[in-house]
Amino acid sequence: MWQIQNPNTPTGQLILWMIVLGAFIMIMGLVPLLHALPPRGRRAIIVIITFITGLFFAIEFFLPINKEQKNFLTDAIQPAQQAVQVITALALALGTYGLVRLHLRNVVQQRAQWGYSLVLLISFVMMATFSITNTLSEQGLVEKTPLLEQGFKLLFDYTLVQLDAAMFSLIAFYIFSAAYRAFRIRSVEAGILMFTAIVVMIGVVPLGATISPYLPGVANWILTSLNAPVQRAIEFGVGIGGLAMAIRLWLSLERGVT
Amino acid sequence: MQTRGPSIWERMLSIDRRILYLLLFANIVLFLLLPIRMRAAVSPPVQKFYDEIEKLQPGDLVMISSNWSASTLAENQPQLEAVIRHLMRKKAKFTLISVEAQSRDISYRLASRLTPEGGYEYGRDWAHFGFVTNLIVSIKGMVNNLPDTIKKDVRGTPVSELPLLKGITSLRQYKMIIDVTPSATVPFWISYAPKETKILYCPTSVMAAEAYTFLDSGQIKGMITGAKGAQEYEQLLGIVGLGTRFVNAISFSHVLIILFIFLGNLALFMNRRQMRQEG
Amino acid sequence: MDLQQFLPLSLDRINVWIGVLCTLAIYSLLYRENPLYRFFEHMYIGLAAGYSLGPLGVDILYRYWITPIWVQGQWAWAFLVPFGMYLYFIYSERYGWVSRLVIGALVGTSAGLFFQEFASRYVVQLHSTLSRPLWMSSANPEADLFGVITNWVFIIILVSVLVYFTFSYPQKGVVKNVATAGRWFLMIGLGAIFGNTVMARMALLIGRIYYLLSDWLMIRI
Repeated sequence: MWQIQNPNTPTGQLILWMIVLGAFIMIMGLVPLLHALPPRGRRAIIVIITFITGLFFAIEFFLPINKEQKNFLTDAIQPAQQAVQVITALALALGTYGLVRLHLRNVVQQRAQWGYSLVLLISFVMMATFSITNTLSEQGLVEKTPLLEQGFKLLFDYTLVQLDAAMFSLIAFYIFSAAYRAFRIRSVEAGILMFTAIVVMIGVVPLGATISPYLPGVANWILTSLNAPVQRAIEFGVGIGGLAMAIRLWLSLERGVT
Repeated sequence: MQTRGPSIWERMLSIDRRILYLLLFANIVLFLLLPIRMRAAVSPPVQKFYDEIEKLQPGDLVMISSNWSASTLAENQPQLEAVIRHLMRKKAKFTLISVEAQSRDISYRLASRLTPEGGYEYGRDWAHFGFVTNLIVSIKGMVNNLPDTIKKDVRGTPVSELPLLKGITSLRQYKMIIDVTPSATVPFWISYAPKETKILYCPTSVMAAEAYTFLDSGQIKGMITGAKGAQEYEQLLGIVGLGTRFVNAISFSHVLIILFIFLGNLALFMNRRQMRQEG
Repeated sequence: MDLQQFLPLSLDRINVWIGVLCTLAIYSLLYRENPLYRFFEHMYIGLAAGYSLGPLGVDILYRYWITPIWVQGQWAWAFLVPFGMYLYFIYSERYGWVSRLVIGALVGTSAGLFFQEFASRYVVQLHSTLSRPLWMSSANPEADLFGVITNWVFIIILVSVLVYFTFSYPQKGVVKNVATAGRWFLMIGLGAIFGNTVMARMALLIGRIYYLLSDWLMIRI
């Protein structure tokens, strides 16, 4: 029932195209109808969707499992994960859409420094073309030409990767400058923080072992016996807070989210 | 009244930040070029990491979750390179998966470059599952039905047709999961992966401090921390990789930063004392 | 260094020089804000945004939506992308609330999954904490004196940091002293994080400088 016979025939493809088109029309057509609902009705739908999606995963976890480590909901995890993957992809693409929309507007309206927006858009289009084509060519769906290979290599390996790495390496300079100008040991707490940082920074690198064979052991003891319980305490706090927040979100008790 | 010029302490406090940047740059260049190789004291988490991989038998299946982008290239690349080399040495088979878009190509290209060294063939000895947007549901899906969750690898081959994954239906059949990541993805593996599958962790140094609680509870069996951890691991493997090349400069950049923190505090203290004396 | 090999006279060397240009253009910000940096910064954002469409489009949409429908004939998936597209109504002033239907689904999913995370991640750590031997006995032959002392230190630090973070009641008297100790212990954790953060950032810079020295200037390191 959930699968049409012979999907790879022209008739099968036509039926599928019609179903997809019909699905788009139907779902988009629902928007004015949903909008006609009063605000309480709209919120009710959102709350129901939130609750049901959470309920599925919660029940799947809580229900006992059989010898095959499954319950009656476990097999539904697979289509559920597929749906979540696709929706998350659309959510990630939303950020890209917003970025392109903003800079396209800058260029069209020739706002201040629109030249940089043009650079961004040109880079975006070039990279998107090469990225999609390259990924398709890896799957054998598109021919991998020398232009594609060299172009992707240039844009990805020698431009994007280098720019990305360089951008994040700038932080090292700022950390150094900030440490010199702003790190002031004015209290016991700051002193403890600094002392621990120094022991860890020197103790974990080979220089520490060269200075003293005991330094790495001290650094490791600080990390495992003093740092670990602190991190665990923070974990417990985060865990309890996370559980409370998860329940509140699931039951739509949190204002301003759904 | 004669006004005096700025004292040495005032000048130290108002030093142009560009001079600081230049000092740091010069320090790193110097210690990268100096042919000093200091041996590391291998830390227990790295030793445990090494020992766990040493326990692998030929043909054992390992999942490598590679979630780093070029922004943490210098820390995660040495880790992944050393891990792949070690797995090849043990003749263990591995699959890669990425939850970060850039990492899909970075890890695929890195593995494609390295695997011929060990005579590894794609599809027979290793494979890449591509990019997934949501790691949690992917893990749950892979635990339940791996071929139906991943469907196809990066080359478009159905996962069930890969010789490497013949008879593999679940993540439970993997001996180990290695998470190479700059972000907090290891809690997801800990939470949703099968309990019988061991988890090893390769974080950037930023994430390492928080992971000691997982090491303590045994939820992760070993950890390589950033580039310096990679150096220790390379030392155990007897290879000279990027970690070994970087660690000298790492050591002395730490010395420089500690020195300048003290200098900054000294300058502030002395300046205040001088101002109090001058009334 | 052979000048012929150094100069950008082959495709590979041109690529390396482009990589170096990108790096130095970004580093020009350290001198001051300038148009070259702004140019490459915008190029970087465009490239990063454009690149993501490949994996999103092929690894996700093609693998999980297009193939199941058009290759396997599973028609029910047709409704998924239109539903996901409701997210894009966030830009509409009139219909913006429609995006909350999808956001609600994603939030519900995360919330429902958290129960398993709580059980597997936090309860295990609680068990690990509570099963630490606090005295030597024949029941725990592997517990030595140093281990027992370390365990006591662990528990004391854990409890004092937890007390520091508990704001449900006023911290007075003994509780205040314990919370103060917790704050000091917290500084140890933060010091470890600071030290590791410095190490991470320095490593990233060292990686870049290594690229300049090794790949560009062809100096053997």
